[in-house]
Amino acid sequence: MLGLIKKDLLIIKNNIKFAIIFIVVFVCFTEQSSELLYFVPIFLSTMLFISTFSYDDYNKWDAYACTLPQGKKSVVKAKYLASLLLTLMAVLITLILGFIIGAINKNFDAKEMLEIISGVVVAIVLLQSIMFPLMYKYGVEKGRIGIFLGVFGMSGLIGFLFKYLNIKIPNNVIQTFNDYWFIILPIIVILMILVSYNISKKIYLKKEF
Amino acid sequence: MKNAIEIRNLVKSYSDKFTLGEINLDIPSGIIIGLIGENGAGKTTLIKSILNIIRSDKGNIKIFEKDIKKNECEIKENIGVVLDNMFFPELLMPKDINSIMKDIYKNWDEQLFHKYLSEFKLKNNQSIKSMSKGMRKKLEIATALSHHPKLLILDEPTSGLDPVVRNEVLDIFLDFIQDEEHTILLSTHITSDLEHIADKIIFINQGKVVLDQSRDDLLDNYGILKCDVDKFDTISKDDIIAYKKNKYDYEILINDINKIKKKYKDFIIDKITLEELMVLMIKGEK
Repeated sequence: MLGLIKKDLLIIKNNIKFAIIFIVVFVCFTEQSSELLYFVPIFLSTMLFISTFSYDDYNKWDAYACTLPQGKKSVVKAKYLASLLLTLMAVLITLILGFIIGAINKNFDAKEMLEIISGVVVAIVLLQSIMFPLMYKYGVEKGRIGIFLGVFGMSGLIGFLFKYLNIKIPNNVIQTFNDYWFIILPIIVILMILVSYNISKKIYLKKEF
Repeated sequence: MKNAIEIRNLVKSYSDKFTLGEINLDIPSGIIIGLIGENGAGKTTLIKSILNIIRSDKGNIKIFEKDIKKNECEIKENIGVVLDNMFFPELLMPKDINSIMKDIYKNWDEQLFHKYLSEFKLKNNQSIKSMSKGMRKKLEIATALSHHPKLLILDEPTSGLDPVVRNEVLDIFLDFIQDEEHTILLSTHITSDLEHIADKIIFINQGKVVLDQSRDDLLDNYGILKCDVDKFDTISKDDIIAYKKNKYDYEILINDINKIKKKYKDFIIDKITLEELMVLMIKGEK
């Protein structure tokens, strides 16, 4: 299991030059506004992680992994854990970058930073939770198309509901959320991951390579 | 002799295109078994079934006398595998593979892995992507051997290798088999390799086992009888396994070469190679 987690992280390590260059360039160009910066490392790490699916696919890793002890049973679990680890690392990097740049520019706002990062993490976990089962089920390429259709469809639908059907979230719900977001969000994140993981596992165990 | 692999009533169908089986095989431990057959004959399907990568429709498979489905993990600790074009993602390097595998196999032997790397002249920090086909194959073989497996299952391990490297690799297999608990099952198109190293040949055609014999029996008993077109009718149909008509003569596949030699004294009867045997059995008329 640990070996399988390592495998994904090593792929990313060997591919990370591009991401570092991107972040450096980004930091240089967005001197003042650090809000956008909070988004970049987490987003990039997700993109990098999704590329591990392509590499797996290209070299038919999954069939090979099935020949290893614990192979088929742990591939999916390792994938989710590796993805979580990577997101955590990206959050850590973002925090450090945020502090440094905030200190340089003397406009550091810890509350704002935490709020933005939490939002990004929830969005990214939601994206991954939908994407992983789709990619396991339909393959990397089709899974990717699925996610774009899914995300645009969902945001379109939500926008439509709120705008034209005049649905409003009751004020007390918003209030509760504002007061307890630091508890509610982690619960939502963990639930999404668990549901997604179980779906992926079922799909994967049925699959033949 | 114990059986390394025991296959009973194995059937695996892919919709209505291809069916493997029913297969019954005993693969004794301590020997090299060559699996031959044309592309699409079912060799890889058989190998994947043995490894429990694909689900069989029927039958059961035992490895080291244990059911593969029930004892998968324990069994796989003792199997080394080279599959055709299935390996680690190509961004990784040998040092990454070492670091991953030592957390996967209990018996992973770093020193042995590095010994193979230097023997094969592979660099520890060169990505698989930048390796030639031969280097990749060698890395796959080194990886398969480095956890001290008892059974090697190799699908086309020598394809894409030049004759020099192929011989190196075959020597490693011969070295491996010195331990009498060790077994190798290997499929290949390069039948001449098997003539050198295999103790037993299994020939699969259209999903069925058509031959399962020791190499020596096979090469000693089968033969090719060559005769002119006008003499073909003098040969009893019962003696012909398959035949191929050339422009001026017939090539006839026969069994029990000594008996046939006595019976047809005026004909030329040659020893057979595995390749000729395979081609005649698949393409020859009956």
